[in-house]
Amino acid sequence: MAINRFFSFLFLILLLPTMATAFEWHIVPDKSSLYFQAIQNNSPIKGEFKKFTGNIKFDQQALNKSHVDITVDTASVSTSFKDVEDALKTAEWFDAKAFPKATFIAKNFKKISDKDYEAHGQLTLRDKTLPLTLHFTFEKYTDNEAIVTGNATVNRTEFGVGQGEWKKTDGVKDPVEINFKIEAVK
Amino acid sequence: MIFKNTENRFGMITIVLHWLMAAMMVGLSIIGLWMVRIPISVQKLQFYGWHKEWGMLALMLVIVRLAWRIRNITPALDAIPAWEELAARAVHWAFYFFMFALPVTGWLITSSADLPVSFFGLFTFPNLMSGNEANRLLISNIHEWLGYALIATFCMHTGAALKHHFINKDNILRRMLWP
Repeated sequence: MAINRFFSFLFLILLLPTMATAFEWHIVPDKSSLYFQAIQNNSPIKGEFKKFTGNIKFDQQALNKSHVDITVDTASVSTSFKDVEDALKTAEWFDAKAFPKATFIAKNFKKISDKDYEAHGQLTLRDKTLPLTLHFTFEKYTDNEAIVTGNATVNRTEFGVGQGEWKKTDGVKDPVEINFKIEAVK
Repeated sequence: MIFKNTENRFGMITIVLHWLMAAMMVGLSIIGLWMVRIPISVQKLQFYGWHKEWGMLALMLVIVRLAWRIRNITPALDAIPAWEELAARAVHWAFYFFMFALPVTGWLITSSADLPVSFFGLFTFPNLMSGNEANRLLISNIHEWLGYALIATFCMHTGAALKHHFINKDNILRRMLWP
């Protein structure tokens, strides 16, 4: 009996990692991207965060056990116009020195339709943490490969992105659109 | 009041286009020289916004102006020395060159910075090329020197007009004031 129980226990122990990894996705950095777009002088200004990592545990069949945790390297901000890129790294904007990381953590997921989902989580940008809802769509979802595209809109001033005179939203408007694509493998 | 040019007089349309574009070019040059020198700020952004949309308006107007010039007769020049006539004509065509080259290079700069131009909030012009820092720097240099050349041409043109008005006391400046 004791031996049987021991083997059952051993079996469970051995099974645990596979149960954990069955949920776990690894981002493919080269095929994933994180863009944002704001409005300045009534026209779009685009940028990108080149570096971000994430812990993604997600299963379409087990949303209540899913968990997403994305960390963005704020110093990896990039725009076509170097002056804008340099300005965005300064204390008035992302303050990449004081706040090198921005995070998004979500544990609450909602299925909207077959491929469309919502992630209700918390975005931490600079020293502010506020709720944020992401909309995302599965372009591909197989046992070991997933492609997701999504978007969200944040009001930059709520996070203090744009200090001093930049708090005014006539030059650079408040809403910023975020667009992302994540390719992940198991 | 006459709208079209005649054999010896400028019409109202030509006169209005001349002074309107003159005012715009002076304003654009002053804003342009100023905006590049100030540190990044809300004000700098505002100046760039104005410089771009008024520059695009200048490009639209110069198309109208050139079309008007081609479809109209140009009044004959009063009797002036041959070298002055040559200089006057060279300066006029130089202005047309600058009126096209400056807005087009400006449009290329902002395109290569991936910052499309809004036309007074009404619509956004498409980018002429994709974002590229090396191209932006190169075209910025060209735009800058075209700007200096425009200012030099402006000084020659204005100096000549004032010389004719105050020294020669002829009709050359007056006929651009009123039809």
